[in-house]
Order: sequence, then structure tokens, then C-alpha cells
Amino acid sequence: MRSDARSVSFPFLLLPHIWASRNRVRRRERGDSLRGLLFGSIGVVVVVALSSGSYWLARQVSAYEEFGDYLLRLGLSWLFLSFLAFLAFSGVVTALSSFFLADDLRLLMTTPVAARRLFFARFVRTLAAASWMVVVFMVPVLIGVGLGRRAPAAFYIASLTTIAPFATIPVALGSACTLAVVNIFPARRARDLLMLMGLLFAVGIVLLLRFIQPERLMHVESLPDIADFFATLQSPITPMLPSFWAGESLFAGIKGGVDWLHQSALWTTAGAFTVLLGWAHERWHFPGYSRSQEAPKTRFARFVALDTLAAVLPLSDVRRQLLVKDVKIFLRDVSQWVQLLPLVALVLLYLYNFRVLDLERIPYMSGFVKNVYAFVNLGMAGFVMATVAVRFVFPAVSAEGAAFWIIRTSPISMHDFLWSKFWTALAPVLIFTELLTIAANFLLGVDPFLQVVAAGAIIVLTFALVGLATGLGARYPRFGADATQAAGSYGGVMFMILAVLLIIVTIALVGWPASIYMMSKTGQYRWRLTPERQAIVVITLSIFVTIGVATWRVAMRSGVRALEGMRE
Amino acid sequence: MIAVQHLVKEYGKFRAVDSVTLEVKPGEIHGFLGPNGAGKTTTMRMIAGLLKPSSGRILVDNHDLEIEPEAAKGALGFIPDRPFIYDKLTAGEFLRFHAGLYGMSNGSAGGSGPSNVEGRVHEMLDLFELRQWENELVESFSHGMKQRLVMSSAFFHRPRAVAVDEPMVGLDPRGARLIKDVFRRMSERGVAILMSTHTLEVAQEMCHRLSIIQKGRIIAQGTVDAVKQLAGSANDEHLTSVFLKLTGGSGLQEIDEI
Repeated sequence: MRSDARSVSFPFLLLPHIWASRNRVRRRERGDSLRGLLFGSIGVVVVVALSSGSYWLARQVSAYEEFGDYLLRLGLSWLFLSFLAFLAFSGVVTALSSFFLADDLRLLMTTPVAARRLFFARFVRTLAAASWMVVVFMVPVLIGVGLGRRAPAAFYIASLTTIAPFATIPVALGSACTLAVVNIFPARRARDLLMLMGLLFAVGIVLLLRFIQPERLMHVESLPDIADFFATLQSPITPMLPSFWAGESLFAGIKGGVDWLHQSALWTTAGAFTVLLGWAHERWHFPGYSRSQEAPKTRFARFVALDTLAAVLPLSDVRRQLLVKDVKIFLRDVSQWVQLLPLVALVLLYLYNFRVLDLERIPYMSGFVKNVYAFVNLGMAGFVMATVAVRFVFPAVSAEGAAFWIIRTSPISMHDFLWSKFWTALAPVLIFTELLTIAANFLLGVDPFLQVVAAGAIIVLTFALVGLATGLGARYPRFGADATQAAGSYGGVMFMILAVLLIIVTIALVGWPASIYMMSKTGQYRWRLTPERQAIVVITLSIFVTIGVATWRVAMRSGVRALEGMRE
Repeated sequence: MIAVQHLVKEYGKFRAVDSVTLEVKPGEIHGFLGPNGAGKTTTMRMIAGLLKPSSGRILVDNHDLEIEPEAAKGALGFIPDRPFIYDKLTAGEFLRFHAGLYGMSNGSAGGSGPSNVEGRVHEMLDLFELRQWENELVESFSHGMKQRLVMSSAFFHRPRAVAVDEPMVGLDPRGARLIKDVFRRMSERGVAILMSTHTLEVAQEMCHRLSIIQKGRIIAQGTVDAVKQLAGSANDEHLTSVFLKLTGGSGLQEIDEI
């Protein structure tokens, strides 16, 4: 009996993903409960914060009747506008993977499935992957707005009928952009270009948000300025954008009505874009896919300076070669290092805030409390360090991947291998966080003594966190996974929990003696630096250093043992 | 040389390798044959130091792998069946990295050939016909090119013994011919080569001695002629029928008649 594969419906093509997800849910792995609890708690906190925040804002602006309505319309439109750009870029990156680079395409492209059906299956997958984050963010925000404005059921129905076409339009545009780029550049190069574009875009959004200072919305007394603020976001083309149509549709819902014009605009545009994209795919998908299978010579940097630098470093040949290999692989893999960009943007914003703050005019930021803020900085640097470590240091052993046999069959000990990983990671993390801490404390005008203490604490914390990440990364490697999956694994989550605990302990153990010292500087008799207090300062700082060093050494030893035990 | 003595590997109650003993003398090419799942790759991975034996000894160039792992590994070159290498390194960089792992630096590469790592890199790339790809990323290589690059690294540090798992998989006839020539030349220079393979023609053509493993145990060992005699097939021209007789797979031939 023969069946015609061309008649296979496109939802059938989604079954492998659905089954794979189902199997993943059924198959429990070690750490699932821990991960579920941690991420679930974070999720609940975020959802509650988003809905409460939007509820509060909706209540605030409702006090201003017509002006409040105007603000709400503009606010909704602005919210959708920011998501519009995000969805377009997310669509670009996701489409590259699902239409051109996914492994299962090698199977599907050899089957007699109609191109149109394959397109629809892949587009549904792209749409889901590109927009789930926006939907998850929007649902609590819109529920908050609805509750804040005591909106009727029409608002919630309008929300559903608005989000679906609204997400489809930019994702279709992004997918079209990918289709064009892949037909011009080889897919491997295109992937680098697109990832870079996407990340630069994300960084741009963060910077834009910072410079237009949306926190001005929090000050009700500056409402007249807010009208100007929103006015700057308006332009003659705004009513032509789906974000405007979505905002108008939802606003009509709040008022209990239905905005048929803008709803129609959303649905017809989404439908037209999908049909046009399908047509374009039928014509240009296979040529693009074919190009993505080719392996043309790729351009890459040789990093001759790195070889020269490594040659003069006082290292053994083995460590020198491990260092050169690790650094070159990291720098040549665009998907790795571009992930540093958002972090760098956040850090720059953090420092920028201190630069523009006129501390003397803010009473609670001057004097003694300002120095206490040095420990907030210490915590911030610790969290930045933990984030960098879980993403870049923890997966260092896993990153050897299927090529790990080269190390394991060579005459070097696992001790040398893991310590090389540690030192390679330590130097950049230490320089980065030291500069961050010193710059933030300097801009804040913290007491020089505290600046030195914080700088010293960062050194200890860096050794401890990098050691912990390296050691746990060796203890719980995920050789088959990419770095992001490794960071989200059981070991990665465990590292984050331990790192947060260590940062809290650090702030407590460094903050206590530092506060004793700062109190003594007030000149009051009762706060003088007695021998007992001096002893407390020395003991607490010693405990901190001991904990840091013990964490570093124990984690590394445990990692080396785990690697040596891999032969079992 | 490679000496394996009473090697055992157990996974729970399952014994994957059961008291395997074999010896590969200097200059010998020793074929390691057996059906799928017989324990060939497990044995090879134990010899390479990737798996820890449950019991037994492995000696490479008289260094016990358990007691002196670094010395034993330093004397061995290992070629796995699937050549995973760092995609983001060039062929030249990979070989320099390999040289570093084996403690070789400029001026210490030793041997009778070029006296430095750079010279050795070029020598090996020339030998394996990869010289024009020296400065290209491994990610743009075909399977066969990656396999040849792994082989060039296995012979790079002038090992006294080489363990190679399925060397001909995925190679075109020209690549296969090249590998055979290299193996012969290396064995003439005294390198002991243990070669696990399914390609019986290759084993028959190249190997001085054979070991046939089934269900984790060595069931036949000796020269090709000795193994034929053991199977009672001294007059069989091809090793295939001998192999099938020994491993109990002769019934499969009947499938051809269906």
C-alpha cells in the first residue's frame, strides 16, 4: 500500500517536537525538582511584579480621566512598538535555525513532503520559538492593566485576538529577512552576522531605554513632562505600524468595544505576510538551504598576536597550548563572545548611572550611607561575576565536547588540564570585575579604605567563584550540550545557588568589619576602635578569606577527581 | 609495543570484555576483528586510556597504563573511529596544540627528521596530503580530511605504538591507499600497530597477525594462515568465510539466496 507523503498535513511535521517535549517531561533527570523550584519561584516573582506594576500604573493614570486615557493609549502603543522590533529580530535568528540549520532538515528535505507544508510546519515552530517570551511577558502586564482599569471581558478577548496576529507580522518579516540573507551569504557566515545583529539590537534597546529614562513615569508630579516624553516617540509613520493597531484594539477593549478597523488590519496583514512568505519560501528556500550545506572557506582571524604573547608567558608547553587553543576557539566562535555584549551594556549603564547621579543633592545617598553602598557594589560585582562564570567558565570542560578524547588520550594529567582552564578563566574575570568595582566605588566617592577592602574582597571572591565554576563544571559536564544548555543544567543551577550564598556571606563578612571601621571614623567615643573590635575585624576578614580559599581549592580538587573518575 | 593481559571490563553484571590477552610486537600490524558488539571498541578505548578496566593490565612500551598513565599515553598514538576535532582551529594549529600536549616544543621534537615542531607539522601535513589546508579551519574539512588530520596527529609525536579503531571508514580509495602505505611504512620503522576493523580485505592485506573477538572473548589468534587453519578453512582464499565460520555468522550467507 502506498501513501502520498505530499499529502502529509503540516501539523504532522510538528509531531517530533511535541513528542520530544512530552518525553522530556516524562523522563525526570537529576536536579529537575531543584531547577523547577528555582526557576518556578523566579517566574512567580516576575509575573507578580509585572502584573502589580502594570496594575499600579493603570490605577495612577486612571486618575487623570481623558489625559489618563491618552497616556494609556500611548503606553500600550509604545509597549507593542518595543516588542515589534524585538519579535522581528527574534524571528530573524530563529528562522535561520529552524529553516536552514536544524539537523532534522537533512531528513525532512529528502522526503517527498510538499514544500508548502514544510514551510507552514517550520513557520509555526519559528513563531512559537520567537514569540513565547513576549507572550509570557505580555500576559501578566495586560492582566494587570485590565484589573487596574476594571476592564470588561471584551478587553481579555481583544488581548487574545491581538497578540496572535501582532506576533505573526514581525516574525514573518524577520523570516523573510533571513531567507534573503541566506541566499546572499553562506549560512555559516549568515549565522554569525545575524547573531551579531540581534545582539547589537538588544544592546541598543537597553541603551535606548536608559537614555530616555522611563523611570520618569514614576514621578506623578512630572506628568506634564511625560506628555512630551511620549510625544517624542510619536512620528507620522506610527499609525502605519502594527504596534499602533494593537494598542488601539486593546484600548477599545478596555472601553468595552471592538475596534474592527485595527483588528482587521492586524489579521489581514498577518495573513498576507504569511502567504507571501510561503510563496517566497517555495521559490528561494531550497537554493538557500542548498547553500547552507556548502562548506566554503570561511574567513577567520589568525590571532598571531596571541601566539606571540603566549610564547613569552612563563608557562609550560602544555599549558601554553591549552591556553592558545581555548582563547582562539572562544574568539572565533561568534555565538560565544557576542553573549558578552548585553552584559557589557548593562555594566556600562550601571556605571553611567553613577556618573549622572548628583549625589550631593540626594540626602539619603550622601555621607555614611554612601559608603554602605560600596557593599551593594560588591554584591553587584559578585552577581556579574557569577553570571559570567555560569555562562563562560562552568561550560569550559563541557566545551571540549566530542573532542575531549584528544585531551584524555594525551600524556597530560587531568590536574594540569583543569588548572589550565581555571587560570585561563581567572585573568579576564578578575580584571573585568576589579575594574567594575573600582570604577563604581570611585564614581560614588566611597571612602578610600573601603575601596581597598572591596578591591581585596573581589580578588578572593573571584578565585572562589571561578574555582567553583571550573570545579563544578568538571564534576557535572554536559559534553553533548551547547554552553547555554550546560549553564542551565543541574550543575549550573547548583553553581548559581552556591555562588549566591557565597556572595551573601562575602557581603556579611566584609561589611561587618568595614562598618565597625566606618563607625569609628565618626569620632564618637562609643564607636571607638577598641582592641575587641579590632579583633572582630581581623577574625571576620580571616574567616572570609578562609571560606573563599577553601571553596576554590575544594571545588578544584573535586573537579579533578571527577575527571579522573571518568574512566570508570 | 602493546601488551594486554587478562583484560576485563564489566558494566554491572554484563561482561563486555572477558579476559582478553594479546600482544603487538614492534613493527607488527595486528588486526583486531569481531562482529558488532563483540568488545572491540571497548578494548581499544581501554588501551587508549579512555575507559578504566575492571581488571587486567595494559602495557604500552613497557609502561603500565594504570601505574604510569602519562608515560604510556606518551608512547601511544590513538585514532578513534569518529574523528572529532576542534572545529575552530586550523589544521596547523591543531597539530601545534597536539605537539604541546605531548610536551614537544621547537627544538625538542627530536627524531631523525626536522628538529622542530614547525618542521614536523609540515612533514605530517605533507605525508597526509593536507599541506594546502594548513591554514584552513577544521570545520570546512570533509570527513576523510578530518580522519587524515587525526592520523597525522597520532603519528606526530613518533609513538612507539598506535591503536586505531576502524581506520578506513569514510575514506575514498585514494585516502584508504594512503593510510595503508603510511601504516606499512610506520610498521617498517618499528611502530606496533593495533588495528580494529570490520574491513576483512584490509586485515588480510595488511596484518601480520590477527585476534578475533566474540562476546568479549578472544576466540582465535595468530597469523592469517594460522587463523584459517584454526577455522578449518585453510584453503579459503578470503577471510570473510573464515570470519563467519568462527563467529557463527555463516547462516547469514543464506540470506543472499532469498
